[in-house]
Amino acid sequence: MTPGQVLLFAVGGLANAAYLFIVAAGLSLVFGALRVINMAHGSLYMIAAFVTVVIGNQLGAGLGFWGGMLVAVAVAGAIGGVVEVLVLRRVYGREHLVQLLGTYAVSLIIAGAVRIVFGANYRTIVSPIPGHLNLGGYSYASYSLFMIAAAIAIGGGVWAMLYRTNLGRNIRAAVADPDLLNATGVNVTRLYTTVFMIGAALAGLGGSIVAPSQAVGSSIDTDVLVLAFAISVIGGLGSIVGSAVGALIVGMVISFGLVIPATNPFALAFVFIIMTAVLIVRPRGFFGLPDS
Amino acid sequence: MVLALFLFVALIPPLAGLNENLNPDASSRFQIFLGTSALVLALWAISYNLMLGYTGMVSFAHAAYYGVGAYTVALIFKRYHLPILLGLAAAPLAAAAVGVVTGLVAQRAVRLYFSLLTLAISQLLFSLAFTWYDFTGGDNGIAVTVPDQLSDYTTLYYFTAAVVGVCLLLMFLLVRSPFGAALLSIRENRQRAAAIGINVKAYELAIYTIASLFAGMAGGLFILYQQQAYPEMLYWTANAQPVVVTLLGGTTTFLGPAIGAFIYVVLDNAVSKQFPYQFDIILGAIVLGVVLAVPGGISDAPTVFLRLRERFHRGEQAEAPPAESAGEAIRMFDVRKALATDAIQAEEVHPGQTLLQIEHLSRRFGGLRAVEDVSLEVKQGDRHAIIGPNGAGKSTLFNLITGQLKPTSGTVKFDGRDITGKAPHVIARTGIGRAFQITTIFPKLTVRQNLQFAMLAHAGYTVRPFGLANRIFSAEAQELAEAVGLGAWTDLPAGQLSHGDQRAIEIAISLALGSKLVLLDEPTAGMSAYETDKAMELVRRLATERHLTLLFCEHDMSVVFSTARTVTVMHQGRVLTEGTPEQIRHNPDVQKVYLGELEQEELGA
Repeated sequence: MTPGQVLLFAVGGLANAAYLFIVAAGLSLVFGALRVINMAHGSLYMIAAFVTVVIGNQLGAGLGFWGGMLVAVAVAGAIGGVVEVLVLRRVYGREHLVQLLGTYAVSLIIAGAVRIVFGANYRTIVSPIPGHLNLGGYSYASYSLFMIAAAIAIGGGVWAMLYRTNLGRNIRAAVADPDLLNATGVNVTRLYTTVFMIGAALAGLGGSIVAPSQAVGSSIDTDVLVLAFAISVIGGLGSIVGSAVGALIVGMVISFGLVIPATNPFALAFVFIIMTAVLIVRPRGFFGLPDS
Repeated sequence: MVLALFLFVALIPPLAGLNENLNPDASSRFQIFLGTSALVLALWAISYNLMLGYTGMVSFAHAAYYGVGAYTVALIFKRYHLPILLGLAAAPLAAAAVGVVTGLVAQRAVRLYFSLLTLAISQLLFSLAFTWYDFTGGDNGIAVTVPDQLSDYTTLYYFTAAVVGVCLLLMFLLVRSPFGAALLSIRENRQRAAAIGINVKAYELAIYTIASLFAGMAGGLFILYQQQAYPEMLYWTANAQPVVVTLLGGTTTFLGPAIGAFIYVVLDNAVSKQFPYQFDIILGAIVLGVVLAVPGGISDAPTVFLRLRERFHRGEQAEAPPAESAGEAIRMFDVRKALATDAIQAEEVHPGQTLLQIEHLSRRFGGLRAVEDVSLEVKQGDRHAIIGPNGAGKSTLFNLITGQLKPTSGTVKFDGRDITGKAPHVIARTGIGRAFQITTIFPKLTVRQNLQFAMLAHAGYTVRPFGLANRIFSAEAQELAEAVGLGAWTDLPAGQLSHGDQRAIEIAISLALGSKLVLLDEPTAGMSAYETDKAMELVRRLATERHLTLLFCEHDMSVVFSTARTVTVMHQGRVLTEGTPEQIRHNPDVQKVYLGELEQEELGA
């Protein structure tokens, strides 16, 4: 491979890492504060992707996408709120088994609903930032570069939220000791709803941002969920830094795995081999929190 | 139960339209086909429940083992042109081989991460099946034309029924065996299971492998009537089927998932053809309903059912809330024993040989020195108390002795053997029993089972996959229960007993393990004064009768001074001093440490 090719695939890897990070950060945030693995996380991502495409195309090319994104993130956040109040609130503190199965049930329901509402066909939306950037004989899609920048900004935003706001302070306190936080007068019930809605909105943002670069179909929920799990396991659940590291590893492996002929068919398998290897060495991933 | 099993298999064909020779129209053939698929699904789901229901493991790789079974048959028959029955025999073995390897890997992770890792493994196997065109046929899968003798639906049905029947019988015998008892104890309480000497990880790996073996068998049978192996069988979402079926039928009864399988097949046939998307929603609603409507976990479903039935038959049966009445029974017992207790206390102390020897033991958590250079000897037959203010390192010390924590440095010797840093189940087997600070018993098992299972583990019987666990040591457990004053409540779920009586069960479990040394971590925490007296009376009596050595930590000084013969005082992770209760009572350093923590008069000053 020439250095130019390496750069090309590295940028491709970064673009993968970008949307995967946004999704995984939401999953990880929810796990950190609520100690719940949200099996319906991919479903929220899928809903947002569909909403972005449908609303975006309705509003017209270009600017329409941004309108679609706004609606999509709001919809994902709102559905997250409903799920938290109706389902999760009743399974906190119970066995992981119950929480896994409860959110799994939600994912089945959403999957069915999405197929009824949006049908089984793939849908697409034109990139709101068209054009390419030429560098060293290779062209880079402007939208990929936008995704990378957006992920960095969102990562910074989540960090600022966690470490520079009251809400973030409470979330971090909830991660450490929810009972104590409750005793200090913070409404932990409402905090949990808020955190879950933020997590859902991040899933939605990921689904929305990825819509122009991939075809949107009714199986993207499980595809992204599996990758988000791989990232969380590699980076460690409950850590935003872990999500970033995990997303970079997974994004790069997919990008370079596809390009090396010998590994091409097994690019995805590679992700899971790495995930397995990491867990064998570090059973809670690189930056993981204990699970109870 | 076994009879029901055979009836269950034998009764299906009439229900499903019987025989294509008698009734050769297409619809009855279809019914027979559905019956076959329900049988296979039942086998698959029951094998899933071996993990979910009997050990509480959530695996997302079970579909992969089912798929491995199917591919094994397809490859052996289609690619290597060997007899299909050979393929069928190889299917469970291949699945078990993949299962044991992947299970070993998945076990590196705990609980949630275990579930995620099984998911990754499942996806790995899927992508192998999906992308390895030359071997697996990639996304086309492998089509199989079943040989003539198995191609007619009725024959195939009876063949499948026979195989499934044998498999169910084997699994049924397994869960009722001492091996099954070990699984049940893990499901109920992992920590307690390890403390009675069960190697939790080894048993989990064993059942994971056995479950994958039967899943492979189910996958192999699937090929016979579907005549196709395809990669989606291994995709992790395919696990929805066994999960939903298991939850539908219930996880706590052996045949529950089989009933779930029949409901599922009927429902699937009625709904999914016309409304495929609505079917997903229905499945989701079922899982959600089971999860939310059954508080306290999936395994509580029968409890909810019983509660409903009780409400229905209110007043017919006298309920037995044992806490109070048990107390009454023991009160009488106490009065008779009062003099004896005094006699024990007056008894002279004969310090024996050193039973437990701790040397320079330290444990640090980051910068915190929880236990620092502690050396301690516990003599045979002694009642040794460890006291000290909160944070003195008492619980950490206990955890170091029983293997819950590994020491940073130092050694622990018990009965002449070095047990430093050994796993809890290994230490339990050397003869150290433990009652935890928070009572840990098997709450849903009966008092008798609590003791029986401990005896089974102690005798090393839990490796046996045959025999009826409930019949072994039944009388011995009853005797032991009577010795700790619980003889009348042996058939009640242990969790229903009062706090004090649960403590008594915990101590009895230590006795069932033949422990020479019993560690009691705050034995009277959370007890009323009356319960405290009762509990300590029991402890003293058992220690004397059974020549036990006690090591306990306790905040209640009246308990310490009425029971202990030796007292060690810990402060900030170190041993401050050691002596007889009388010496400790008058030690000015000890009073200084406790000042501000406890009132003077509690020290008896």
